[in-house]
Amino acid sequence: MAANHPTVVPQLRRMVGTATATATSAGLAFAAIDYLGVVSILAYAPGTTAAFAILIGGILVLLVSGVFSELNGLYPSAAGIRLYLGRAIGHRTALSVTFTYMTTVVLVIAADAFLIGAAVRHVLHEPAVLAYVWIAVLLGIALAANLRGIRLAGWVQTVVTYSVLAGTSILSIIALFHVGGTFAHPFSLFGRGSFSGIQAVAFALFLFAAFEWVTTTAEEAREPRVITRALFIAPFLIWIVATLFVVGLSHLVPFAHLHGSAYPQLLLGRAALGTVGEIWMLALTVLTALNTFNGGFLVASRFIYAAARENTLPRAFAKLNLRAVPWVAVMSLAVLSAVVAGIVFATGQWLLLVAVGATIEAGIYALGSLCLLILRRRETRERPFTLVAGRPLAVMGVVVFTILFVATGFADPKNSRHFSVAPFTVIFLLATVSVVYVRWGVPRIQAAADARAAAAGPKRRPQRTSSPVASVVESRSVVETAPLAANEPGPAVDGD
Amino acid sequence: MADWDELTDALEEYTSTCNANERLRKMQRDWTRLLHFVCSDTSDTFTMVVERGEITSTSHGHEGIPDIIVTTTSETFCDMFWGDLNPVQKYLRGEIKVKGSQEDVMRLDAISYVIWPEF
Repeated sequence: MAANHPTVVPQLRRMVGTATATATSAGLAFAAIDYLGVVSILAYAPGTTAAFAILIGGILVLLVSGVFSELNGLYPSAAGIRLYLGRAIGHRTALSVTFTYMTTVVLVIAADAFLIGAAVRHVLHEPAVLAYVWIAVLLGIALAANLRGIRLAGWVQTVVTYSVLAGTSILSIIALFHVGGTFAHPFSLFGRGSFSGIQAVAFALFLFAAFEWVTTTAEEAREPRVITRALFIAPFLIWIVATLFVVGLSHLVPFAHLHGSAYPQLLLGRAALGTVGEIWMLALTVLTALNTFNGGFLVASRFIYAAARENTLPRAFAKLNLRAVPWVAVMSLAVLSAVVAGIVFATGQWLLLVAVGATIEAGIYALGSLCLLILRRRETRERPFTLVAGRPLAVMGVVVFTILFVATGFADPKNSRHFSVAPFTVIFLLATVSVVYVRWGVPRIQAAADARAAAAGPKRRPQRTSSPVASVVESRSVVETAPLAANEPGPAVDGD
Repeated sequence: MADWDELTDALEEYTSTCNANERLRKMQRDWTRLLHFVCSDTSDTFTMVVERGEITSTSHGHEGIPDIIVTTTSETFCDMFWGDLNPVQKYLRGEIKVKGSQEDVMRLDAISYVIWPEF
């Protein structure tokens, strides 16, 4: 992997540096649901083998880092993966994929609300039903804060992220002192079925999921290398924390206890330091919510706003309140998250959320690799980062992540020796709704937008008499015009 | 390709429309930013100062350290400032490039949305 000649970047008054970008990347990835992700890995890879699976997953994530670094260098935009996919495989397909991808944000918000509610209820020894009250309270606070335009300052987010990572690591190290030097099952990757090793690695990928969303801050970065550094450092930090946590957890808490628990981190806290450890881990769990609710709501609601402004979602979602917050988008997210959290609460299927998230993420990594493969052919201009041996590595990425996509899509973390179609069924339904909507819903919305624009009358801009261009560009149509620069291709369309 | 006079006309129109919109001024009352604009085809540059939601000045060339830098063609700038195009569509397709925080990018678009809601 090679960084090319440094590009001269115009400086802004406030810019994101490496530490903040790394914290953003790690913070987006490390949510409360990751503690459950670790349990899913343990279902397929017992004991220290889970750490081995996380190592393999981490190495694969480095490939993802390289792929997204190069794509981000080509298109440093908040539109991120939507833009890469649009350029590579067409805007309509990109839109379908992005809508499906964004549902993971709802899943993570819902899962975190549920997990934190369950953890608080557990520590306070309240009846199970009160977990949903906590879920409602948490989502209510997040909703109110977002509607008022309150968001964590960058430095607070950075402190929260590093506190969660450091706090989890320290407690895990304390736990390891209880373990001593005896580590069970160091290399039993295929001990729980023929495909268990592959499934363990696939779930290990989930621990890093969403780290690549840091590319959406590319427009704020001090220089392109900031995002590249974050994409490589954040997975390293997550790898350390996850490894310490999984080794401590697998040796101090029997798997039978972990299996039915929505708060494995509290069980490790108690095993390591008693009540103090339990409260320690509860505090960290609540801290992760700050990142999830702040980052998740912000990313998803702004995506919805942009989609509504682009006329790919109903325009009601672009409505702004007097604090310039897209309030319909924020309210919809909160309601949807509450419903999903309620379903999880009622069914106890929290590991299914992990499986669905892991499957979607593996699919996105396969598509990211495919984008690089296609855009390497189309885009010859210089970029700030070029993945060495990019083509063969991208091919490898497509193959490996597709295998992992299938492996998690049929996984049943509740019973590692069985396969389940549940994750794929959920994703199939989400994708079908998305595709149908993009094929039939979006053209109607765009037709309505065109009609609105036409009804608004001719162009406001005075027509030039000297230029032949002006007479051609009469219409106020939303059809796209010329590309930005001669060396950039125009927007790709489906079927390109 | 639009010349500087056309850009000046467009900017004047944009400034007066924005500043006359009470709802926009109220919505952007906590938004004070220095914006730099770059025409990728003509190399023209200009600066816009926004103070508490009000555009207080626009000038040729770049002044100060900006909060936001917007780059696109002079034609797109003119159409954008006259309210003849939807900037989000151009932005999502990479035809308008914005350097700045995501929140500022949204605030910038919110201006167009509030004053020209038909897009």
